[in-house]
Amino acid sequence: MADDEPLVRWKWIADHLNYLAQLALDHAVMALVPVLIGLLLAVPLGLLCARHPRLYQPVAVVFNTLYALPAVAIFMLLVPYTGLGEAGTVMIPLTFYALALLLPTTVEGLRATPEAVRQAATAMGYGHWRRLVAVELPSSVPYLMGGLRVAAVSSISMAAVGALVGRGALGYLFIDGFQRTFTTPILAGIVLIAALALLVDVALVLARRLLAPWAVRSQGAAQ
Amino acid sequence: MIRFDGAAKRHPDGTVAVEGLDLDVPAGRITVLVGPSGCGKTTLLRMVNRMVEPTGGRVLLDGTDVAELDAAKLRRGIGYVIQQAGLFPHRKVIDNIATVPYLLGWDKKKARARAAELLDLVGLAPETAKRYPFQLSGGQQQRVGVARALAADPPVLLMDEPFSAVDPVVRAGLQEELLRLQSELNKTVLFVTHDIEEAVRLGDQVVVLREHGRIAQQADPHTLLTSPADEDVAGFLGRDRGLRGLGLRPATGIAIRPLADGTEHGGWELALDPAGRPVEWRHPAHPARPAIGFHPGTDTLRTALDAAVLSPAGAAVALDARGLATGTADRADVLAALTEHPVATGG
Repeated sequence: MADDEPLVRWKWIADHLNYLAQLALDHAVMALVPVLIGLLLAVPLGLLCARHPRLYQPVAVVFNTLYALPAVAIFMLLVPYTGLGEAGTVMIPLTFYALALLLPTTVEGLRATPEAVRQAATAMGYGHWRRLVAVELPSSVPYLMGGLRVAAVSSISMAAVGALVGRGALGYLFIDGFQRTFTTPILAGIVLIAALALLVDVALVLARRLLAPWAVRSQGAAQ
Repeated sequence: MIRFDGAAKRHPDGTVAVEGLDLDVPAGRITVLVGPSGCGKTTLLRMVNRMVEPTGGRVLLDGTDVAELDAAKLRRGIGYVIQQAGLFPHRKVIDNIATVPYLLGWDKKKARARAAELLDLVGLAPETAKRYPFQLSGGQQQRVGVARALAADPPVLLMDEPFSAVDPVVRAGLQEELLRLQSELNKTVLFVTHDIEEAVRLGDQVVVLREHGRIAQQADPHTLLTSPADEDVAGFLGRDRGLRGLGLRPATGIAIRPLADGTEHGGWELALDPAGRPVEWRHPAHPARPAIGFHPGTDTLRTALDAAVLSPAGAAVALDARGLATGTADRADVLAALTEHPVATGG
């Protein structure tokens, strides 16, 4: 870094506002669509695991192992199939990471339904599946929203690594800044990623209040 | 009517919950199963709606073996109330109550109208409808639990220690409410409790169980209190069962001395307010003491005796429905009523 280079060159930011906004939007889509798909897969899979508990451990082991693999390695492995600089190369692994986080949350949430509630539902005449979908799933919404917050924020953070395979959205700013020994884009990237994470997190907290107003005070307060 | 016909439950590990019980639960009455934990009372209750399948014998509901019925359909026709209410946390009170009507496929409007009726029936304010269970007290949650069990007007009601988790004052209120409801609805109620006091208070028939679901005694509460089958049952009933038995007998038999015959007892004079309500007992040499009354038509001998014991003059004040004094009964009058209706012996 040159001695006369300031930490933040505001003019560069002012000149690249459109560019930054584009990267932020791309980043949001690349990070959050996988979480959404992960959720859509986690709920039915979680219901299946709750209905057949023997299924849960093997499935959890598979996803935990997937989660342990470094993102960079998987991105690189996918490049020959999905292409360099393609959104899919980044979004496919992110979907699996989200699923790995959301599946246990879903199952734990379904299991957290108080025994008295489960028994009452059975005694009212709910069958197994109907009870899972109509009673246990809605009462697990607070857990699910908690899991979504973790999954969304970690996905936003991990999407930046996609820059190494040519599709990192805001993550590209880090590589750019590093190669040019130019701190402004690095700092802009950090601030924008943090802001995006914060925005999504707040939105999810509000969504939880909207979807589960009965859980604002405490989870499962009615026992 | 519910009939247990040699109903038995043996767990896969070989332990026996219920050895084999024969019992008739008459229609339109409250039958209480009472016994220590481990006597199999909850197991028996759950055999009725097939939440437990007997490993021997049968349970008949109006002559049909419940094992032949579809479990979910059977359950929609049987009300079920449990200790912790088990309300659905994510549903508003009104929709909790309407659970079974929804399951039966009623349209939403009709189901909610029915739920609102029940809310009123169990003594909850209409604005409770829009609350969530966590916003209610324990006693209110239990009321909603009872309303939910009654929503589809099932002929049979199973109650598994429904009032055990609330404090004694609330519990007494809920018990009274159940008796009031039952006098209107005449359900076939099978009620499980470990609290003998509750059993005696609520049951038309009380079944005292020992371990493995063996019947120690099956009797109406009065017979149970006055003539326990053996030492074990007497021990389970606890102290003062004679006095507690008075709580089951009406005070109608007490001879009331009219006010016109004088309001003075042993130097104490009963003071009335202008309307005729009792105020206090007065004595020239002692400070005044409150006058305690009873309603001969609706109160029990226990209440009358209590009023007489608490009176410095040794006399309970008889009241009419408006709370006006109609006469007095001293301790001897009350005691005479005890022996005029001698308690049944043997049994």
